[in-house]
Amino acid sequence: MQQFTRRKRGGARTKKYLAIFKINLLNSLAYPAEVATRSGMILIFMAVFFQLWQVTFSASGSQVLNGLTLHDTMWYLLLAETLELGRPRLARLISQQVKDGSIAYLLNKPYDFLLYQLASGLGESLPRMGILFILGGTLVWSMAGAPPALQNWPLAMIALVGAWLLHFCVNGLIGLAAFVAEEVAPFEWIYQKLVFILGGMLIPLDFYPSWLQTVAKSLPFAYMMYGPARLFVRSDMQLFVQILAGQVLWLAIIGGLLGLAFARGMRRLAINGG
Amino acid sequence: MVKELKFLTSLWKTNLAAAMEYRVAFISQSIGMILNDGVYFLIWIIFFDRFKDIRGWQLTDMFMVFGISAGAYGLSGMLFGNAFNLADIIVNGRLDYYLSLPRPTLLHVLASQASPSGFGDFLYGFISYFASGQFSPDGFGRFILGLILATVVFVSFLVIVQSLTFWLGTGGALTGIAINAMVTFALYPITLFNNTAKLILFIVVPAAFMGAVPAGFVRSFSWSSIGLMILAAAGFLALALLLFQLGLRRYESGSAIQVEV
Repeated sequence: MQQFTRRKRGGARTKKYLAIFKINLLNSLAYPAEVATRSGMILIFMAVFFQLWQVTFSASGSQVLNGLTLHDTMWYLLLAETLELGRPRLARLISQQVKDGSIAYLLNKPYDFLLYQLASGLGESLPRMGILFILGGTLVWSMAGAPPALQNWPLAMIALVGAWLLHFCVNGLIGLAAFVAEEVAPFEWIYQKLVFILGGMLIPLDFYPSWLQTVAKSLPFAYMMYGPARLFVRSDMQLFVQILAGQVLWLAIIGGLLGLAFARGMRRLAINGG
Repeated sequence: MVKELKFLTSLWKTNLAAAMEYRVAFISQSIGMILNDGVYFLIWIIFFDRFKDIRGWQLTDMFMVFGISAGAYGLSGMLFGNAFNLADIIVNGRLDYYLSLPRPTLLHVLASQASPSGFGDFLYGFISYFASGQFSPDGFGRFILGLILATVVFVSFLVIVQSLTFWLGTGGALTGIAINAMVTFALYPITLFNNTAKLILFIVVPAAFMGAVPAGFVRSFSWSSIGLMILAAAGFLALALLLFQLGLRRYESGSAIQVEV
């Protein structure tokens, strides 16, 4: 009986977050033209990347550079850009909620603040990532050729979920930093640039000098970008296991820090009427 | 003209005083932006370490292009911060406030806000120029001139794109794309692009005037480069003023009560 009640409560809890996810999903889809226009940025980026890598491959006189062809590089960059442009800007949102006090309206509701952010962020992010992938993918297909083999997709998608969750945790930490710092935007900028470089967002890590590859792969950023993008173009079970293990490890560390930061932030929070 | 310049100076002084009210935020945003730009530039150091040359462009050229682009972006944010928010101001009916005052509307709107992070970008522009290893007194003079002309083109382009809001009714997404397009194209070697793409970068999205053309001018003086830059700055500025004025005729106030601080 006790087990049944617990299961029932667990089901209700899941339903609650599913409803939040659904509301945000529908909200994002309410203005498809606006989402599509905003997503148009990916066309600019992919067009420029194609020019850059086409010239680079042709200047090198080789079809394959460090195990990647021009086709691989372009599809790698597409997935990386989709993730970067499609992930929700949670740090900005949470820090604003902390600074203007609107966090109080979320804390007195019958849900967990962090899980609420997770469900709403996912609902907002999913359609945006879908549109970005379709728009950018169409352009990349026309320039560099057909998408990678379908057998690569499932492993890449699993790694994509892990990468999205890692981004969520780091963004949450940056947002909650507003409890102690006046301005969190610089943290967000620098974090984004670290993902650009150590995550291999603009240049696949395979093209880096080996010492830098070692450094990058021992930090969380490679699991946020390089992992899913690399698996998308070259399916490799050994690499998949490495990436998944890295993601689980970093999720435990950064997720734990996020939980601690939230608990500490709640102790510092002062709400004055209103 | 002198009267407008005095007005502009007092707006900038007020913006600086307002930024200094939140000194910690101002300093942290400026330093954060310098770090941000510096870390971003590492990409090109890694790239050129591996591939050395892109159709004649090398790392020193990238330092120069970054110097001009970051400097012009920063100067635009510092002096005309609302150039990045003009579409929102139009859509939300916030032009009412500026229209009710006896000052040039566009100038007043644009200079009414300063972006604290712009100062960081501006400083980074100089750091990048000095790091290029191509410093010379006359080159530095050309760098300053190129920076100013690139700023005029960039701000004018932002005004042109956002003035379309008067006709389209919305402009936020378009502004984002315009800014990204300018910055992205300006920060990549122009030698990557074919002639059609180059034509677009000179006329439609004038990123060439925010990167490659002034960077080339800083490296070596040429009458054709300076002529082209002055022509572009004057042309885009004139078009921006014209479009904004035409758009203003279509502007409808929402009669909302606004408080401008």
